[in-house]
Amino acid sequence: MITHLEQELEAVKTRIFEMSDLAMEAIARSVESLKKGDVRLAERVIQGDSELDRLEIAIDEECVRVLVTKQPAAKDLRLVTAFLKINTDLERIGDLATVVAKETIRMAGKPPVKPLVDIPRMAVLCAEMIKESFLAIAERDAARARGVIGRDREIDELNMQIYRELFSYMAENPHSISPALSLIMASKALERIGDHATNIAERAIYYIEGVDVRHGAHEGSEGE
Amino acid sequence: MDKITSVNLTFSYGGVPAIKNINLTVEPNTVMALIGPSGCGKSTFLRCINRMNDIIPNIGIDGDILIDNESIYHRDFDVTGLRRRVGMVFQKSNPFPKSIFENIAYGLRINGIKNTYEIERTVEQSLKRTALWDEVKDRLDQSALGLSGGQQQRLCIARTIAVAPEIILMDEPASALDPLSTQKIEELIQDLKQNYTIIIVTHNMQQAARVSDHTAFFYLGELIEVNRTDMIFTKPDNEMTENYITGKFG
Repeated sequence: MITHLEQELEAVKTRIFEMSDLAMEAIARSVESLKKGDVRLAERVIQGDSELDRLEIAIDEECVRVLVTKQPAAKDLRLVTAFLKINTDLERIGDLATVVAKETIRMAGKPPVKPLVDIPRMAVLCAEMIKESFLAIAERDAARARGVIGRDREIDELNMQIYRELFSYMAENPHSISPALSLIMASKALERIGDHATNIAERAIYYIEGVDVRHGAHEGSEGE
Repeated sequence: MDKITSVNLTFSYGGVPAIKNINLTVEPNTVMALIGPSGCGKSTFLRCINRMNDIIPNIGIDGDILIDNESIYHRDFDVTGLRRRVGMVFQKSNPFPKSIFENIAYGLRINGIKNTYEIERTVEQSLKRTALWDEVKDRLDQSALGLSGGQQQRLCIARTIAVAPEIILMDEPASALDPLSTQKIEELIQDLKQNYTIIIVTHNMQQAARVSDHTAFFYLGELIEVNRTDMIFTKPDNEMTENYITGKFG
């Protein structure tokens, strides 16, 4: 028998998975727009962000309603509290994708500084981290979520590499400063997305195991 | 030092064990909630703590309960003294068919207190501690049976604390009360733990979560898990506990 609580939790879960799909799509499209200088695609990313905002509010409301009417406990309680936070991370990811899209619009009509390689790699990594975290939630597989956490470092390294590379471009050619700064802004936004993806993985672990691994807490102390 | 320690306690009715090998400790000035489906043995365990089960024929007891490290099942143990130290509140309020004042004064008198001033002072203090004083101070000589269900239950708690017990056992003390009376009883439980050690049996898991410091989950006569209440309700260690508190069975 499926209880009403389970039905409601499933409904919240479906919405948050829907939100994760939208967030991953926003990342991919924003970077695609940057790569191709596609202003219309960038505008669509910015418009699409309102859907993420709408879902954030709806999921918050549903979680609060489940808390007050069903008083969930144990893993059900952890699911709701984890989703309340993941919800905010996804909404922030959407906002950061619009930062990338706005840089596309700012750079419109200007010659590209360089062909983009590392920024799209960052975007792929971010999307993979989010996807893996959500698969971990779906399968209640904490090991899968743990695998996500270290990957943020790869994104940070790519970000630093992009900084160094663009600094050298700017030093050589003052005309490249404006578009290079745009790319630095985009890279920074993706680096922040990586942080939010890490948060999602940490919250997935909390949901699955009840262990708080944020800020290195409980590292190496399994099940404590 | 632990206030109450149950050591391998097994209790049976007519040869059938109702609780098996219970090992549990309760710290002083804390609230312990006992939860579990009907028939799991939580009330039986509660009644072992003041030897209420002694009056039932054909019972068997193995193991022991220690209060302040002293065996209460030792043959030389003073059972009447035990019941003075361990007060009890039941699901259904059971005031004496006497005045409000007498309900509380009675216990004092049978405990040998004769000083009228002392009795009056204790009655007032007990009623104040249970937040009943303002509601009944002008009708202390009226029958306790005229009080509402919630007031009667608070009167029974006032009666219990008047004789200054160390431990209060509560068997679903709020299950027959309206939400406001329930809230008052729950507030009271949390206030009272400053002076007493409290064990409460409840079917209402949110109530256990609200009032207790520790929660013990019983199932089929066994103690499945005991832990800090916040841990039990966020991250129980045992899957059976998890299934029970998430409403999968029971």
